[in-house]
Amino acid sequence: MPLLEIRNLVVRYGEIEALRGVTIAVEQGQVVTLLGANGAGKSTTLRAISGLAKPASGDIMFDGHSIAGLGPEAIVRLGISHVPEGRRVFPGLTVKENIMLGASNRKVPASQISREADAMFDLFPDIRAFSNALGWTLSGGQLQMVAVARGLMAKPRLLLLDEPSLGLAPVIVQAVFRIISQIRKDTTVLLVEQNARMGLSVADHGFVLETGRIVLGGKPDELWGNEAIAAAYLGGHAKTHA
Amino acid sequence: MDLVLQLLFTGIGIGAVYALVALGFVLIFRATNVVNFAQGEFSMVAAYLMVVFSVDLGWPYWLSFLIALAGMALFGVIFNLGVYYPLRHRTYLPVIIATIGASILLSNSVLAIYGPQPQVLQGWFDTPGIQLGPVYLDSQYLLIIGVTILLVLFNFWFFEKTLLGKKLQATSQDKEMASLLGISVSTMIMITFIYSAVLGGLAGILVAPVLFVSIQMGSTIALKAFAATIIGGFGDVAGAIVGGLALGVIETFGAAYISVPYKDGFAFLVLIAFLVFRPQGIFGERVAEKA
Ligand SMILES: Nc1ncnc2c1ncn2[C@@H]1O[C@H](COP(=O)(O)OP(=O)(O)OP(=O)(O)O)[C@@H](O)[C@H]1O
Ligand SMILES: [Mg+2]
Repeated sequence: MPLLEIRNLVVRYGEIEALRGVTIAVEQGQVVTLLGANGAGKSTTLRAISGLAKPASGDIMFDGHSIAGLGPEAIVRLGISHVPEGRRVFPGLTVKENIMLGASNRKVPASQISREADAMFDLFPDIRAFSNALGWTLSGGQLQMVAVARGLMAKPRLLLLDEPSLGLAPVIVQAVFRIISQIRKDTTVLLVEQNARMGLSVADHGFVLETGRIVLGGKPDELWGNEAIAAAYLGGHAKTHA
Repeated sequence: MDLVLQLLFTGIGIGAVYALVALGFVLIFRATNVVNFAQGEFSMVAAYLMVVFSVDLGWPYWLSFLIALAGMALFGVIFNLGVYYPLRHRTYLPVIIATIGASILLSNSVLAIYGPQPQVLQGWFDTPGIQLGPVYLDSQYLLIIGVTILLVLFNFWFFEKTLLGKKLQATSQDKEMASLLGISVSTMIMITFIYSAVLGGLAGILVAPVLFVSIQMGSTIALKAFAATIIGGFGDVAGAIVGGLALGVIETFGAAYISVPYKDGFAFLVLIAFLVFRPQGIFGERVAEKA
């Protein structure tokens, strides 16, 4: 049984049908990458999983139970942590406070959360020095590290990452992906990327989303192998990003 | 010089009341992005609760005080559920109109019960005050200043040192993100309303013996408190406190040296001056950086 299974998911924003019957499965322990152009519906898929967007029809199964229609607070308590588009680090709180709040889905004492947040800096040494800096003072790369660290504090069974490489310098992108390949040892990851080369480099499986529909799915080499698709969805974007 | 010290004491005393109400304004504004136009009525309702228990029923002052504060906490819950919660997914406009409606409803309900004549509430202490050198320290003003200092310290500790305080701040900065982390946004907003109602209630109970207990006391205090938040820098907690104290001092000095009937006018003159020359308020830059 897959850890996450989405069947025929339809999501609408008023008149706009953002997802038109999306079906994907994510096996326990995998990194699955969702690729697609601007507006394809990648973020909407993640928002539906984490409860920010309500499905119009279809189902979302996590660990064998339907979570479609639950609110975000309930879903993160089940072990799905969503690091959304745009990082969304709280600007008026410090780096450490931001990271500590990532554990809000678990019932643990504040002292233990503080220790766990300190330990998180071992995985993210670049932001250790900024522990007491306010969110709004950080650079894009630092914000991304804080956002991922905060997402991991939930101790998720499934981590949803939305375009972690967006707007970052190539060196920083590599640092972020190094961290993703470290995370995968303990956590299942559903990764959204426009940067196909990077996205597939860490993936066990990939899906390509086009205007609300999955048009292709397979192992990374199979996706690269499909020349027409690679040119349309993968090559082009890989070039513009790299 | 003696008069200056005396006026400073009185000004800070009355300014502390504005500061407490302004703090309530700011906390609700930050949590809901809406100015609560019934904030002044929180103070008015609490003062009347004191009249009910302490004057009408004749219960001990301290007991009436505790019951009135507990009543205000409950009032905060009801206000949130009745006025804010049903409209929480709407834009700010329906919510603002609902708070204005609540303010009218509250004043008129109290009017229906107590009539237009003001009520009198005794101060906490029997001794009217103490003479300290050249300055006469009124006991009620001393109490107001003491309680305000304690509350400002508590507020700092609560928001800066506790995880719950951080969750409240996170909620006011980005509700969607807070909910993704598992923070219960509706609980955080409920806590904010309870806290603001108790703050406003305390201000009303403390200032009641200095003024009269009347239907209008709420709108008078709220108008000053609102001016205080703009002077301090809208949305800023420190700004609300500094702005409230500044306003109290300015109007007290204005009344003493220029004109008593125009006492309220000075507050608004300062407000207009700020709106023209420094619309972001004293602490405005910090707000801009946070946004
Ligand atoms: N809040 C919204 N209201 C209305 N339409 C929306 C909203 N959010 C997204 N959409 C629309 O839904 C479709 C899918 O958007 P989505 O954000 O999921 O795409 P995406 O693949 O994440 O794109 P990007 O790469 O730009 O992040 C787009 O057509 C978009 O315009
Ligand atoms: Mg997106």
